[in-house]
Amino acid sequence: MSSLALMRWLEGTPDRYDAGMRALTFGRVDRLHEAVAAAAVEKPGDAVLEIGCGTGSVTVLLRALQARVTALDQAPEMLEQARARFAPGEPIEWIERTASEIDALPEGAFRSVVLSLCLSDMSRSERAFVLREAARRLAPGGRLVVADEVHSRGPIRRALQQLWRIPQAALAWLLVGTVSSPIPDLTGELEAAGLVVLEEKEWLFGSLALAVAERSA
Amino acid sequence: MTAATIVRNSVLEVLQTAFRLVPWPTEAGLRSVGSPDESSPVLLTCNYDLTVRRLLAALEGCDAWVVVAATRGINVWCAAAGGHMSTHQVVSALKTSGVADRVRHRNVILPQLAATGVLALDVFRRCRWRVRFGPVAAADLPAYLGTGEKTDEMRRVTFPLSDRLQMAASWAAPASIAFGGLALFFAPAWALPLCALVTAMAVAAFTVFERLGAHRRAILAAAFTAISLGVTLLFGGGLAAAATAAFTPLLMTAVLTFDYEGTTPLEGGSHFEQRKWTITLDSERCEGVYRCWEVCPEACFEKLEDTRKVELAHDDRCIRCGACVVQCPQDALFFEDSDGARIEPDVIRTYKLNLFGQRSVKAL
Repeated sequence: MSSLALMRWLEGTPDRYDAGMRALTFGRVDRLHEAVAAAAVEKPGDAVLEIGCGTGSVTVLLRALQARVTALDQAPEMLEQARARFAPGEPIEWIERTASEIDALPEGAFRSVVLSLCLSDMSRSERAFVLREAARRLAPGGRLVVADEVHSRGPIRRALQQLWRIPQAALAWLLVGTVSSPIPDLTGELEAAGLVVLEEKEWLFGSLALAVAERSA
Repeated sequence: MTAATIVRNSVLEVLQTAFRLVPWPTEAGLRSVGSPDESSPVLLTCNYDLTVRRLLAALEGCDAWVVVAATRGINVWCAAAGGHMSTHQVVSALKTSGVADRVRHRNVILPQLAATGVLALDVFRRCRWRVRFGPVAAADLPAYLGTGEKTDEMRRVTFPLSDRLQMAASWAAPASIAFGGLALFFAPAWALPLCALVTAMAVAAFTVFERLGAHRRAILAAAFTAISLGVTLLFGGGLAAAATAAFTPLLMTAVLTFDYEGTTPLEGGSHFEQRKWTITLDSERCEGVYRCWEVCPEACFEKLEDTRKVELAHDDRCIRCGACVVQCPQDALFFEDSDGARIEPDVIRTYKLNLFGQRSVKAL
């Protein structure tokens, strides 16, 4: 029954998600996750809001740095996978909601808000809303940590990225069951949400980026 | 509309009709039609480009807000059944599109065919917007917005010739590329005739197929193989051409007659276990909210006004889309098989269909 095998393949997205992401980024995704966690946690006990926690790859690292985590994802099967990574009783609050519903969480309550590889899955208007509301959830001096696929800067790198995207999009669909589109101007969108970028990092010729931002005065 | 826009739209219309089986996303967010104000109606749809363009065209002459939800470029029916147009996407679109700042009311009209995926009551709980399911077809919207009333015709899905031909085109185009492309390697002169053949088969499948009765697969395959081989031999085709001509109709028949549940809302599905499940109504629980009556694309329900309940009067027409089960606030509807086993409403709400029409994708 080849169709059955194919069905399993299509349904098993969360199982394949991590391995798929690793393959797509040549392993860079692990370094990206580590950088995200390092930027998000200053000291043990910090409250961190993780939007789009997925299978919990970043959540594990946040907990290793002893952060108190509020992890939100709209996909129940992703949350199930993430939950299974932790012993019961860990200080993690799991919320099954869309990113657009973070406005129900208290304002100014988090040392950091983390958006790792989830912003590029949203539409432009969703991103604007979520970034604005994420900024409001930050405590004074708090940090917004964004890591995602972006448009490479410079014409040559940009052209290379465009060429690479066609096979990559096909591969991404097969491996993780979804195709995202890189964010054209991450810095610009952060600024529009009332944030200033403090620090930036790049991987894979500038196609993966990390930005740490705080609320502008 | 400028000449360039008209040309662009026409090209897109042709391309998207031919390749409508693949997702075609357009930017999600808020659009306006005419000059809407704070009391104008709010409509919400998927971000399948063809749908959005046709919806905006159908609304010409109206003043309305259109919220486009991010459904991965998939059409309303497929996205709703497959979990990509669920409560999540609707809540997110209503909250992030900025529509709440443009209108004073909180009423949103969704396409009726989104009812399999969107839990109207949950949308209200989560973002305080009241969902009403409008007509099936966008063409009925001006009349619906004018009177505020959904007629019986607006509720029922029909499959007229124009829709059938569009579905045929959407199968013929990729199949022509596949089979015509194969022929280019083995018997190039037969590439074009083969494209014509698969197109004819697709049109036949969507127009006369239903009338062939039992053994229709065999009849269709045999007829087209005979025509194809006959023509090839008559025009002196070689062995390769004859083999391609005989092989193509057989493979195309297999492709066309495989049960693509969801290709049209009118096809039930026969290859899967789901077939033996039938819709069941628990009249005790029914409180006459009539949500099922409102969303059923086959008009299986009749209102019993005197007792304020519904009756499953035409369950023979049921296509097991689950819209009524999903929307019933009393959980009075569920699927039951011949042995009396039940699928509870929450399972139908939670598990969406995969590409093979099986209810196994968890979406909520």
